[in-house]
Amino acid sequence: MPKSDLIAGIVLLVFGLAMLAVVIPTQTSEGGDATISPALLPQICSVGITGLAVLLTLQATGRLRRGVAAGVAVPAAEWWAMLAVVLAVGAAIALFVWVSPAVAAVLLIVGPMLYMGERRIWLVVGIPAALIVGAWFLFYRVLGTAIG
Amino acid sequence: MESFLPVLESAFAPGNLAWILFGVTLGYLVGALPGLGKGTATAVAIPLTFYLSPLAAIAFLVGIAKGSTAGSAVSAILLNTPGEPSSTPTAMAGYPLARAGKAQKALKMGLFASVIGDLFSTIVLILVAQELAEYALGIGPVELTGILAFSMVFIAGLSGRSMIKGLIAGLFGILVSCIGLEVETGSPRLTFGMIEVYDGLPLIPVAIGMLALSEMMIQIGQRQRLQDEADLLQGSGIREDRIVTLGDWRRSARAILRGCLIGTGVGILPGLGASVGSFLSYGAERKASGRGADFEETGAIEGVAAAESADNAVVPASFVPLFAIGIPGSVIAAILIGAFTIQGITPGPLLFLENRDLILGVYISMIAASLFLLLIGYFGQNVFARIVRVSPALVMPIVVFLCCLGAYLQGGGAFGIGVMVVFGIIGFFAKKYDFSFVTFLIGFVIGPSFELSLRQTLGLVTDVSELLDHPVALAFGALAVFGVWRLTVLQRRQHEAMVRDQP
Repeated sequence: MPKSDLIAGIVLLVFGLAMLAVVIPTQTSEGGDATISPALLPQICSVGITGLAVLLTLQATGRLRRGVAAGVAVPAAEWWAMLAVVLAVGAAIALFVWVSPAVAAVLLIVGPMLYMGERRIWLVVGIPAALIVGAWFLFYRVLGTAIG
Repeated sequence: MESFLPVLESAFAPGNLAWILFGVTLGYLVGALPGLGKGTATAVAIPLTFYLSPLAAIAFLVGIAKGSTAGSAVSAILLNTPGEPSSTPTAMAGYPLARAGKAQKALKMGLFASVIGDLFSTIVLILVAQELAEYALGIGPVELTGILAFSMVFIAGLSGRSMIKGLIAGLFGILVSCIGLEVETGSPRLTFGMIEVYDGLPLIPVAIGMLALSEMMIQIGQRQRLQDEADLLQGSGIREDRIVTLGDWRRSARAILRGCLIGTGVGILPGLGASVGSFLSYGAERKASGRGADFEETGAIEGVAAAESADNAVVPASFVPLFAIGIPGSVIAAILIGAFTIQGITPGPLLFLENRDLILGVYISMIAASLFLLLIGYFGQNVFARIVRVSPALVMPIVVFLCCLGAYLQGGGAFGIGVMVVFGIIGFFAKKYDFSFVTFLIGFVIGPSFELSLRQTLGLVTDVSELLDHPVALAFGALAVFGVWRLTVLQRRQHEAMVRDQP
């Protein structure tokens, strides 16, 4: 899919240049007496990524010019699914920190279940309950550690 | 012999056997569920190993890997939905058999072939790994740099469809591994002032995010397709259609033997992966049988046998470079490094000197896992056949919950979950834009060793001419350059052929 390759190439090119121009100079020290600068490996990787991103971009541009079908890398349903999972986990982290681990776990399980169309009440209640009790038993009783 | 007895005792201890059995059962269960593969199963299960003994922990994870590899044939044959790409040939040859009422026959042959492939490859691992490790002990930093560079190029070229994307993924993995305190000066590097990452990003949340959470994002987006494919299949009333007959064995014996050899060979070479093994073996059998497209139209028991024996032979064989040199050749091996690290053990040639009893115990446990695989798969066949039809709306949320639990425990609390989410998003785009997440993970895992050996090399070799004193390193360096050129040419040809075939 040349269109998605083109987008990926440009994003990676910007990423590589940002690493080389901004992130590595500000986020690595000179190294003092070190024989080799701490920035060496990040620089090698960033130069490599930038160079390869240029190649990827040129390759994708060439294929688009030759009329190869552009294609869609991520269908809308998958964008929404990704967003839903990120939101559910993000909200669960917030609940975990400010409310309680159990409430966070309920949201984490029930949220995706409802999003995926599960409406049978005994399952919506039963599965989170079984998982939370199971996790509690495994970690607090069997393995002897704690959560939260 | 006396020193071997305690190893046998610990390997056959009821607790250890119970964990292997649990691992194989859990793996088979997860593998049987459509859309879930061995990477997801193993990554999610790592937190369960924190408080186990090293032997029980490794044996449990190996059991999961073996169980899920064999289990993915169930959804492939019954639903035409492979648990992972390596089961696609199984679906091609097995699903038509299921539609013809021979599901049980196909499942049984898939299981037998899986166990034979797995056992064969485990024996090869036992015979080869230590020999290779003894050789690897003589390798210095210059040679190691060459070997690691070659491995990365090889993995980058073979684990995806584009060499450029593979190399980007590998370099990105090494770059991410640079986050934390720098090894020589101890100064923070790419940390953005976050103390949590001073020890580097934790492997398990990164692996769970890249493998499992990203896969869940994709599967949840495709839930309707998964649900639609869970249509009921009718079984046959004829006994011969439900069992593996002598005639089936005769037809499949050659395919299984070839599959064992192909799968083991592919597994030992870092980066090729189970998909290459199963497709190669299936293709070879299809060609040898002379039946052509008939294989996919009416189904072929020998096709199932070929694909499954190779698929399952890849997993134990991929531990050869891990145990002998410390290079993870597959995603399972990369995850297993995390488990070894949790237990305070470093995989590599010294493993056979410093942890000999553990390795022997792991070998025995692997053979036990193969036998458990046979028992669980055979007697649990009907149960697993029902489980594949469980709604994705029930399975996916459970996996998301387990992902968070794992990331929380190994990643220092909520921070670990945050790392998992970030790498879940990166993994999602990597999969959708065809960047090899396997190469990324392997780059991430070998990054610190690569940096250390590179630093030592730059310290030892002050002049290019001194490289002539290191012919092994030069050979691997040359192979890496040759690999980039050759694989790029091959991929370009493949791509041009694909464009020509486009309607």
